Order: sequence, then C-alpha cells, then structure tokens
Amino acid sequence: MASKKKQSSSLSLSFKNGRFGILYSIFWKKTRAKIGTCILLFFFVLLIVGPFLYPYSPYAISGAKNQPPSLAHVFGTDYQGKDVLSQVIYGAYPSLLAGIVSALGGTILGLLLGVIAGYFSKVEGAISAASDVVITFPAIPLLVMIGMLYPQIDQLLILALILILWPVAARAIRSQVLSVKNRPYVEAAKASGMGDWEIIRKIIIPEVTAIAFAWFVLSVATAIIILVALEFLGVGSPDVVSWGSIFYWAQQFAFYSGDWWWVLAPGISITLVTAAFAMIGFSLEEAMNPRLIR
Amino acid sequence: MNFIRKRILIAIIVFIVALNLDFFLPRLVPGNIAQTYASGHLMPTQDVQLIEARFGLNQPLYIQYFDFIKNVFSWPPYFGVSFQFYPQPVTSLVLSRTEWTLILIAASGLIAAVWAFAFAAVSAMRRGGKFEMSSLYSSIIFWSIPGFWFAMLLIWVFGVSLRWFPIFGTVGYNVVPGSMSYALSVIWHAVLPVTTLSLIMYGHYYIILRGSSQEALASDYVIAARGRGLRERVVSLKYVMRNSILPVVSLLGFSIAQLVSIEVVVEAVYSYAGVGDLIVDAVLYRDYPLIEGTFFYLTMVVILFGLFGDFLLIKLDPRLTR
Repeated sequence: MASKKKQSSSLSLSFKNGRFGILYSIFWKKTRAKIGTCILLFFFVLLIVGPFLYPYSPYAISGAKNQPPSLAHVFGTDYQGKDVLSQVIYGAYPSLLAGIVSALGGTILGLLLGVIAGYFSKVEGAISAASDVVITFPAIPLLVMIGMLYPQIDQLLILALILILWPVAARAIRSQVLSVKNRPYVEAAKASGMGDWEIIRKIIIPEVTAIAFAWFVLSVATAIIILVALEFLGVGSPDVVSWGSIFYWAQQFAFYSGDWWWVLAPGISITLVTAAFAMIGFSLEEAMNPRLIR
Repeated sequence: MNFIRKRILIAIIVFIVALNLDFFLPRLVPGNIAQTYASGHLMPTQDVQLIEARFGLNQPLYIQYFDFIKNVFSWPPYFGVSFQFYPQPVTSLVLSRTEWTLILIAASGLIAAVWAFAFAAVSAMRRGGKFEMSSLYSSIIFWSIPGFWFAMLLIWVFGVSLRWFPIFGTVGYNVVPGSMSYALSVIWHAVLPVTTLSLIMYGHYYIILRGSSQEALASDYVIAARGRGLRERVVSLKYVMRNSILPVVSLLGFSIAQLVSIEVVVEAVYSYAGVGDLIVDAVLYRDYPLIEGTFFYLTMVVILFGLFGDFLLIKLDPRLTR
C-alpha cells in the first residue's frame, strides 16, 4: 500500500520535472517491456550487421534445393536453393520501413485530429463520427482492392494505411486532452491571454506526446501485420523479397517439398518482432494511463 | 444522441462511403479497368471496346454513377458481372459463399469473446498471478501472430502431419446435404479455421478487456466492495467485469472489422470457400468487378455483426440506452 501511495503522488508531481523519467520507470518495471526491448535490439542489430556478415543474397541461388538448416544455411534453403535467413534479413527492410512510415503518418494524423477533437468541442462529434466510420472498414479487403487497382503507385498503399490507422491513436489522445484541458494551469494560461493554438502547441501537445508515442509503437505492429498479409496475398510484387512474399512462395511450394524450416523460421521472426512492438506499446500505454495506479 | 441511433447513423454513413469507394476507386484508374484487364491478357483493341461497352465504361461519369446507384438499390443488388466467372453476376457469386463466411465469423467471434471474458474475469480475481501473466503473454503473442502463418502452421501440424483434420474446403465431397454426416463434415472442416481465428481474436479481446478491467480495479467502488468483505469472485464478476464492458463498446466495430480482415487471409490459406477466399481469387485473376462486390459485402458483414454486437451490449449494460 505504501508503494502505491508513493507512486500516485509522484505521478501528480511529475508535471514539473522529469515527467518522462517517471513514465519511463513505470514502464521499465514491467518484464514484458524489457523482453520486447531486447528482442527489438537483437533484430535491429541482425538487420544492420546481417548483410555484412551473412554471405548470401536473397535473390541468388546459393546452395542445393530444399536444404534443412545447417551451419552454412542457418534457416535452410527454399525450393530454388535460395537462402532463407538472407530472405528474412533483406525482406525485413521493405516490410519494416513501410510499417514504420505508415505508423508514423497515422500517429501524426491521429495526434492532430485527437487534439482538435479534444480541445474544440464543436468539431468533436464530427471527428469521432469519422473515426467510427473509418474503423468499421475491414482493412485488408480495402487495401487489397486499392493495391490491385493501382499496382504502379507504391506509396498509395502506405497513404491508405495511414488513413486507416489514425482513429485508434486519435481516440486515446482525445481522451487524454479532455482530462488535461480543464486543469488549473490551462485555465491560467487562458486567463493570461494565450490563444487556443498557442495553448495547444505549448501545453496540450507536450502533454500527449508520450501517449502518442505509445500508439505509434502499437501502430507499427498493426501496420506490419497488415502489410505482411497483403504481401502474402500477392499485392504489390511477389518477386521483391519481403516478409510477406516469402510466404507467398512458401505456400505454393513448401508443403509439397516438406520444407518446414522455410515456413517456421521466417514466421517466428515476424511474430517475435511484432510481439516485441506490441509488448513495448502496451506497456507504454499502461504506464501512461492515469486511471491505473499499480 | 441515443446510443443505438448513433450506431445506425454510423452504419448508414459507412454504407454510403463504401458505395462511393466502390464506384470511384476503379474509375480513377489511369485508362480504365477494361484497358488494365486487357493489358494483362494481350487483347486486341476491339475486344477492349466491347468490354467497355458491356460495362458502360464509355459513358460519361455521371451516367455511370446514376446507373451504379440504380443497380445497387435494385433487388438483388447488381455489382456488375465477374470477368473471370463470366457471365455470373458478382452478387450471386458472393451470396453463394456468404453462409460459410458467416459461420466462421460467428463461431470464432463468439468463442473468442466468451473465452477472453472468462480469462479476464479470472485474471481480475488473481491479479499478478501466474494465470494472469500467462494469459497476458499468450494474448500478446496471438495478437501479434500473422493470421496466414498461424493457419499454415496448423495445416502443417494437424492436417498434413497428424492428418486429424482436412486441409482445405468447407465440406466433404460425398456427403448428402441435410444429413447428419453433412453437419459433422461441416464442423470437421471448420475446426482449423475457427481455431485460428478465435485464438487470434482471443488475443485482441483479452487485451482490450484486461485494460478496461484494470481501470475498474483501480476505481473506488471496487475498493469499497472489497472493504465490505465481498468475495473476490463476486467483486470480479459483478463489479469489475460488469463495468469493463462499457469501454469495449467503442472498440466493437473495430474488432469486428479486424476479425473480417483476418478472416479473408485465413480463408485463403484453408481454401475455405467463403467470401474471403473469393476476394483472393479475384486478386489472382484481376477480376475488378468481383473485388468491388466482395469488398462491399464484407463491409456489410462488419456493419451487421457490429449492430448485432451493439444490441447484445445494451442487454449487458443498460446504461447505454440512456
């Protein structure tokens, strides 16, 4: 009970100094935050160092066909004799990059709309109705349709994903703004003659950056899961090595040749990375929820 | 505004937006879809013109729009004719498969919701214990796992290696519709897809429910209930979980959209002859009218299940009717 009390008082004091420091210490107490961070660090090192240390190209035939994992080919080879680990390493770049970019765009859009919806009560109804409409669309069928109709424009899928991802972040940010906007220091700022946009820029946005970051991390996981599924379905080009396109080919050939490693190793890698983003994101979100005192 | 009225209004807006996306997305393509389709099939120019005339693509846009709206509001709604399964209308293709998609979504959504609710209730009783931690970690894993990969794994283990379950299709070949063995065969074929979907959706629901139940656990009325000496089971079910439902409401539409979204991919892996499998075939054949139709009907499925879920939630939490 004593520790609970201490934490809650430090939370309320945290606006003065070291707000992020306190959030960080709550976050870092969680085991899953540590596990997630370790997994991500491991994969980022692998992605950066891998292309230099690991000798194979994902596009070149570098060994015998359908080889199980060995010291030469750590994740084995596929039906053409291409190395699977190098496909996992190089395939991460398009998938992760597109995921991070669209999550960033979605979070920024969500931050703007969430702040506007929370601060100006006149437009709140319109924005939350828009977000209710957007989240009702099943993402994968919509993106499949867009990706198929406009295969020549790569950026269009990312743009569409941004337009799909913003409502979840906006919702969380809006409720945070609602709780901030009636605090005494905002009233004081108003009384001292600060304009609405100045208050938003100087007080509200700094208050919600942390929660926006949590949703950014979670959106990266969501975006990767959606993008990988699209690549798996053959949207875009299956000939470009990406996390999803590995399975586009594996689904057609791995069952017949019995190459379990070709399915297992890349899948575990993807799941670990998305789970790591999810563990960090959910821990951050929990650490920032003022209604939870744990 | 009344909760259910608001939800119906949102459903109507979604319906209108889906219709307009369906009309404008294919028509903003450089050239038009007939030319895009033809360029993939090396067709001569007069064939392209025939397709354009057949689908009305050479008409001015406003006439096309008028025809489109008129056709959609006729019965049965007309979304054009499939390129690949010519001359079958898109609607009849989709409707012939809807039942399978509805079976999958209803079964896995229900299983996942009940399961997540039960696990969240037990977690609320024994906070910080092994049970809560293991269900939390497992839900994060299921939340993160790519649906198609999970489906491939289950096929590999239970279909190919152990041969316990069929690896594709919705029903066996030589069973008579309406018989007991038919029903059993349907269930038999649905086991793996439903398992895949409900495990993934369990992850989604558990995380949402745990978040809201933690907020409820930190609230004064729960502390007061404990102070009165109520048993943990009563506190968990009557105070914590009952109040955890409200935050779930706003995410219901979202989670059903996600369920349908994942369902598309899972159906494709299991070759389960539902609407999701159809949309993937349509991508394969560059069958534009079919894609539009399947997208529209899948969105309608989300709306329908969303409204159904809303009515269910009103029963569980009467505060919503106010």
